[in-house]
Amino acid sequence: MIRLPSLPVLLLLVVAVAVFAALPWLGGPYTVKFATRVVAMAIFVMSLDILIGVTGLVGFGHAAFFGLGAYAVWFVTPKDDGANLILALASGVGLAGIGAAVIGFFAVRTRGFYFIMVTLAASQMLFALFHDTRIAGGSDGASIDVKPFLEIGGRVILDFQQRNTLLWFAIAALVVSYGMVLMLVRSRFGRVLQGLKANETRMNALGFDGQRYKWAAFVVAGALAGLGGAIFASIDGFVPPEILGWRESGLAIMMVVLGGVGTLWGSILGAVVYSLAEEVLKSAHWVGPVVAEHWPIAMGCLLIAAVLGAPKGLAGLMPVRAARPWSAPAGNGTGVVHATQPAPLLEVAGLSRSFGGLAAVADVTVAFTPNRIHAVIGPNGAGKTTFTNLITGALPVSAGTIRLDHDDITALSAAAKARRGIGRSFQRTNILLAMTVAENCAVAAQARGSAGASRAEEDAAVAWALSAVGLVDRADRVASTLSHGEQRQLEIAMLMASGARLLILDEPLAGSGPEETARLTALLRELASDHTILLVEHDMDAVFACADTVSVLVNGRLIAHGTPDEIRRDAGVREAYLGRFAGLEDAA
Amino acid sequence: MTLALVKTPAEAATRPPLLEARGIATSHGRTPCLRDVAFTVGAGETVSLLGRNGMGKTTLLRTLTGLAAGGPNASIRFRDAELAGARPAAIARAGIALVPEGRGIFPNLTVLENLTLPARPGPSGKREWTLPRIFDLFPRLAERRDNWGDQLSGGEQQMLSIGRALMTNPDLLMLDEATEGLAPKVRDEIWATIRVVAATGMSIVVVDKNLDDLFDLADRHVILAKGEVVFEGSTADLKGDPDLVHRWLGV
Amino acid sequence: MDLVLVQIFNGIQYGFLIFLAASGLTLVFGILGVINLAHGSFYMLGAYLALTLTQLTGDVFLAVAIGIPLAVAFGAAIEWAFVRHLYARDHLQQVLLTFALILIFNEVQRIGWGSHPHSVLAPSYLSGSIRLTDTLTYPVYRLALTAICATLAAAMFLVIQKTRVGRLIRAGESNREMTELLGFDSRWLYRFVFAAGTALAALAGMLAAPVESVYPGIGERVLIISFVVVVIGGIGSIKGAFLGALVIGVADALGKVFLPSLAGVVVYALMAAVLVVRPGGLFGRVIR
Repeated sequence: MIRLPSLPVLLLLVVAVAVFAALPWLGGPYTVKFATRVVAMAIFVMSLDILIGVTGLVGFGHAAFFGLGAYAVWFVTPKDDGANLILALASGVGLAGIGAAVIGFFAVRTRGFYFIMVTLAASQMLFALFHDTRIAGGSDGASIDVKPFLEIGGRVILDFQQRNTLLWFAIAALVVSYGMVLMLVRSRFGRVLQGLKANETRMNALGFDGQRYKWAAFVVAGALAGLGGAIFASIDGFVPPEILGWRESGLAIMMVVLGGVGTLWGSILGAVVYSLAEEVLKSAHWVGPVVAEHWPIAMGCLLIAAVLGAPKGLAGLMPVRAARPWSAPAGNGTGVVHATQPAPLLEVAGLSRSFGGLAAVADVTVAFTPNRIHAVIGPNGAGKTTFTNLITGALPVSAGTIRLDHDDITALSAAAKARRGIGRSFQRTNILLAMTVAENCAVAAQARGSAGASRAEEDAAVAWALSAVGLVDRADRVASTLSHGEQRQLEIAMLMASGARLLILDEPLAGSGPEETARLTALLRELASDHTILLVEHDMDAVFACADTVSVLVNGRLIAHGTPDEIRRDAGVREAYLGRFAGLEDAA
Repeated sequence: MTLALVKTPAEAATRPPLLEARGIATSHGRTPCLRDVAFTVGAGETVSLLGRNGMGKTTLLRTLTGLAAGGPNASIRFRDAELAGARPAAIARAGIALVPEGRGIFPNLTVLENLTLPARPGPSGKREWTLPRIFDLFPRLAERRDNWGDQLSGGEQQMLSIGRALMTNPDLLMLDEATEGLAPKVRDEIWATIRVVAATGMSIVVVDKNLDDLFDLADRHVILAKGEVVFEGSTADLKGDPDLVHRWLGV
Repeated sequence: MDLVLVQIFNGIQYGFLIFLAASGLTLVFGILGVINLAHGSFYMLGAYLALTLTQLTGDVFLAVAIGIPLAVAFGAAIEWAFVRHLYARDHLQQVLLTFALILIFNEVQRIGWGSHPHSVLAPSYLSGSIRLTDTLTYPVYRLALTAICATLAAAMFLVIQKTRVGRLIRAGESNREMTELLGFDSRWLYRFVFAAGTALAALAGMLAAPVESVYPGIGERVLIISFVVVVIGGIGSIKGAFLGALVIGVADALGKVFLPSLAGVVVYALMAAVLVVRPGGLFGRVIR
């Protein structure tokens, strides 16, 4: 979870702001303009960190929004006069935001390399638009002869023509927007974004609509970049189409990583340090004529060294503020939690799924009664995982129905099914490794119900879940530092906190030693009192110790369903597991 | 947890082990899969590796072939070389061939190309397995030599995978679930082929669940449960203890 | 109509050229899994290498003959020194580190050759234009270039389909782990593929030099187009790169005729259209 900056960092930021603000007295006009450019870039780069560092979206077209913000100022500037300052900034934010909304709508439907390509393509298209057509000056760029100003009652209050005014305004804008972004990122909305970066699969399985959140983050980041662009346009009163290009986007990514992905203030630092480094490397006075003449080589080497040597960036060098320790809420909140719906009945009828011509699950009909532990077993390749994927909605159904408490949920999306109270755990635990145990449960609790949960409900759910699995004293540990067994417990705690009533657990005992197995089995027995549990497992000892019913899948078909004893005696099941083993037909 | 009796067969003591692995403790991320496993294969021996799913059989094979790390204490001695920590390609060239679960044939290469790609003499210069010999062993592959890998049936793909492994002239052949999903008749064909291969003196490790077939085929059986060896013994030992079979292999 | 025909010819010639560059990129991305932004720099360096070598030898094809081995060696050196550290890293770091390489290569180019455009002359035996119809003439070198690229494409197909190396590349594309199990060390495969990818990009730059002027920005234009072709064709597919490059080449050329002010957009619109219909590109992942 992204933390507030530590004291040393805050000090550093305050000093930096003071130095920048004092520049009109410390340096000449060039210095002031340079500093303003750096501040505008810092706003731009910070907005990119919302995408890369907070949400985990690496895009290569963010400069398009910076450019849109800059061009917006030109669009609203009347001929031979200056635009209204508020209007100019609002248009910058607005135009960039609209651009981000349109581009983002398509982009968030892709991921990884394709996301990079779609964002790159979009920004290149905008570049082509502004460079090749005369919509705003074409390749010559757009000139803003009179910079924006604010006039109230005949008096000019703010005039961007005054470079000092612009610098101070830019600094103020940076500070305010940093504060607002920090609040946004640490809000419940921001927490979901961080969860998406940590583990999108888990977030989708909890019921969050990942694409919608990503789109929202994209729009916010784009709009903020537009603010930076609007300020940038006011510095020299000139907007070249190159600021929309991929090189600018690449430079911005560079600054985010240099500063430290995901800290927000780090990206501001990265923008400042990069700009300063470029100035220094270009200046023969500092580095000698040879290096200054060929500064891109020096810059390239510096960047390579920085990324390889300090993967956490400059922010990694500064101390991190300790997180506020989690504490159980006052009063016993369990009453709030237990007063929810009873455990559901799950029925599948004729459930089938084919891949090409191959039937992975064929015509399975079975009912899983509430408040019981139901084991699903079967030899390798029997279709167990496909079966659970069909129920949770990770895979669409080829034929058949799934009913939860008699409601047909077959066609619902995975997120919708999750919101109906279906929770799943995975063979390899899917938790949010970068967050603490308590934060993991809080995110899960945030997803509960179809209307979300109130703060109080959330806290109560977290407390209940943690005490039920026994992780209360681990509440502040980062999930990646937990032992394997504890991670499994955490995953179950998350399911409990999310209010899931039907738990689908995929090999929860895999890799567990005997004590862990005993503990988990006991926990499952306890949970069964108000949940319906579906267990896919290979550990026969555990299955037969705690399961109320056992269903056996072989080659996608259900060949047996009954109590553990019935299954143990079933000849068909025996053959499925042992193959032809003539010697044992009369034994046991 | 109580272990079943571990019985070591007498024959193994007389032959020097071809493969001797000790201290294997492999994990998937944080999930431990194997806990201090020891596994040996003698020269010319056929060993079966048994156990229910998820118990660690495939993980053990992957560790022996270098695809998974066996942990800090792992030792894999193959003839005179220590292979723990070596790259999979180096282990393959040392003479260990794996026919993996899922067969791993290349769908975008023809049968002929699949076979000829890795063809080479064995580490000791052995040139026993050549293309004509493989086609002799698997006439069906000869008929389908120009078909793409993904145009073959499951059984043919399995034969191709075995033939391809043989083309590297290995000293140790490991088969992971070589008859999974195949009809009984095809299974019988494959087992017959394995018997022919074993008769040439090849050392073989077989992972499968059809006990009858394995009883005929293997000299020694090793059962893995939850990442540990819980039984090691001969066919007679297993047949004489049906409870053991049910406990570790049945339901 | 003549103009359209000429543009179509140009488009096909451009498409073939882009295919050379894009095929290298798709191999590197498909087999090594590395996003290499410096791929365009190899094209550019190839063009400038052709400039210098042609000045020295007097014939661009001689320059190519000398330049190819140099490019291969250069590619192998870059892979050894730098790229092989990227295999374990995520896309973000790969993008950054190769972006830093662009900065360095651009400056190296500026030191070596300066910022103003240069031209490379086509060899005298291929200069001039040939009459195709009563009203249509077409530069000989461009026709030759198309023929050469087509031959190279055919040669590439042959290598991929018929040689042992080609088999290994195809196998590695569909199941790298299995090739390791069969005794092939990926490290050498990767070095070979990267060197080949570098050489293909450099070759495209060298051959293209007599057609367009040689200036600092040519690499970046090719880089982006190559990535678009890879997306359209499918990561790792040579056949896809071939089809994608031709489609892009002709669409771009026709775009210049019919939509001159929006020509730059056509290429990206095509990419978007393909992504909507077939998210994995025309030929998905497997090289045949």
